[in-house]
Amino acid sequence: MVLIFLLLSPMRVSADSSLIMSEISSNKHEETISSGVNEPLPEQSKEPAEVTDDDTEGTAEEEAQDEGEEESIQIADPLYPWNKAMYHFNDKLYFWLMKPLARGYSAVVPEDIRLSVSNFFNNITTPIRFVSNLLQFKIKDAGNELFRFLYNSTAGVGGLADAAKMDFNIRQQDEDVGQALGSYGIGHGIYLVWPFLGPSSLRDTVGKAGDYFLTPVNYINPVETAVGITVYDQVNETSFHIGDYEDLKKSAIDPYISIRDAYLQHRKKKVEE
Amino acid sequence: MIQRLLKLVLIAVLMHAPVSADAGVPLDTVKGHVDKVLDVLRDSSLKGGSKEKIKKDKIRTISEKMFDFNELSRRTLGLNWNKFKTEQQQEFIELYKSILEGAYIDKIVSYTDEKIIFNGENPLSEKTVEVQTTVVTKKADIPISYRMIRKEGEWRVYDVIIEGVSLISNYRSQFTQILVNKSPEGLLDTLRKKAGKA
Repeated sequence: MVLIFLLLSPMRVSADSSLIMSEISSNKHEETISSGVNEPLPEQSKEPAEVTDDDTEGTAEEEAQDEGEEESIQIADPLYPWNKAMYHFNDKLYFWLMKPLARGYSAVVPEDIRLSVSNFFNNITTPIRFVSNLLQFKIKDAGNELFRFLYNSTAGVGGLADAAKMDFNIRQQDEDVGQALGSYGIGHGIYLVWPFLGPSSLRDTVGKAGDYFLTPVNYINPVETAVGITVYDQVNETSFHIGDYEDLKKSAIDPYISIRDAYLQHRKKKVEE
Repeated sequence: MIQRLLKLVLIAVLMHAPVSADAGVPLDTVKGHVDKVLDVLRDSSLKGGSKEKIKKDKIRTISEKMFDFNELSRRTLGLNWNKFKTEQQQEFIELYKSILEGAYIDKIVSYTDEKIIFNGENPLSEKTVEVQTTVVTKKADIPISYRMIRKEGEWRVYDVIIEGVSLISNYRSQFTQILVNKSPEGLLDTLRKKAGKA
């Protein structure tokens, strides 16, 4: 949803820095992922590394570009006019509808209850994460999801509390069908922005369709009820992220490009995890 | 005697040699800056709307020490950096810095009681290191990494990665797009407007 990516806005720096040293993860270099479509990648890091003794900034810069640790991810955007129109649509949807709704809602409903609602919806979307883990042969993670579901549904009172996290520190891992497809090496294809759903790609749209069938709410009859529940879920989620989208827009020079790039970077990380 | 002296000198040299193996220094550096920011935010003598400006100025001072805006700017522009004349590069650094500060400082000042965990660090190259942190909110854990470079013995941040999204890569994608149609001067003009300095 649009709102998932609102998380990506400027950081929330905050209190109580406790120092916990844990394992130092292995050094992984990012690679440019191919978007699947033959859009030429910008010519980067072509210059040979200059190995010199002096420590001038100039050489540091050249080295930096040869490290290739932060290359931009590219995606073809042939449907730009449609995407841009949908970007504007979602923008208005947020400011004119979702934000006022979420504001009013959070003024009435205390945070703890909203968190429980969020936990509840996370719990019932377990099938998405369970199946996506299986599709990636992540047997242990799939088992964790299953355990979380059983434990949270019982000890967590129907999923209202994330008891598995509190009692066993077994955390939810974000998985979806789009990530599973990505893990097979399937590229994004092209960038796509959907009304209501927000930024996506050809691959992730296929993934979303898979997610749809793995979401129990969508099997509720009549459809109006299912839609109502989904909208409620979204309003509840939005209530935690009011201000994030505004910050993203404020910090961006070109919000459309910024969101597209953030989407790609974020998905890339998710696929790698 | 001379032999012993040589030995001592050798030991002294050896002890000093592995400067690059100073594991923990980048993390401590970031932590030190973050702690200072938190001290400012918690300072009870700076509470209240009228003190907001003092608070922001203090945070700005810390960010000047924490970030290497020069490096950050070069890496953001990538190969386009060389298309800018020296004065243009200087102006770019200043404008970019003021846009970043404008975008982030309100967010920092409006902090609540989230917790920051410093997870560890991960070398990227001989001179660069990534320090990994997690900001724990009630709703979710947000991974934030700081990429740092060592210059003249000091570690400074040149990129911040939030949930896998690199700040400088994100801006690079925007600047690259703008530079397709505009000259460096055109980009500077866009930035001047954004920074409110047109």
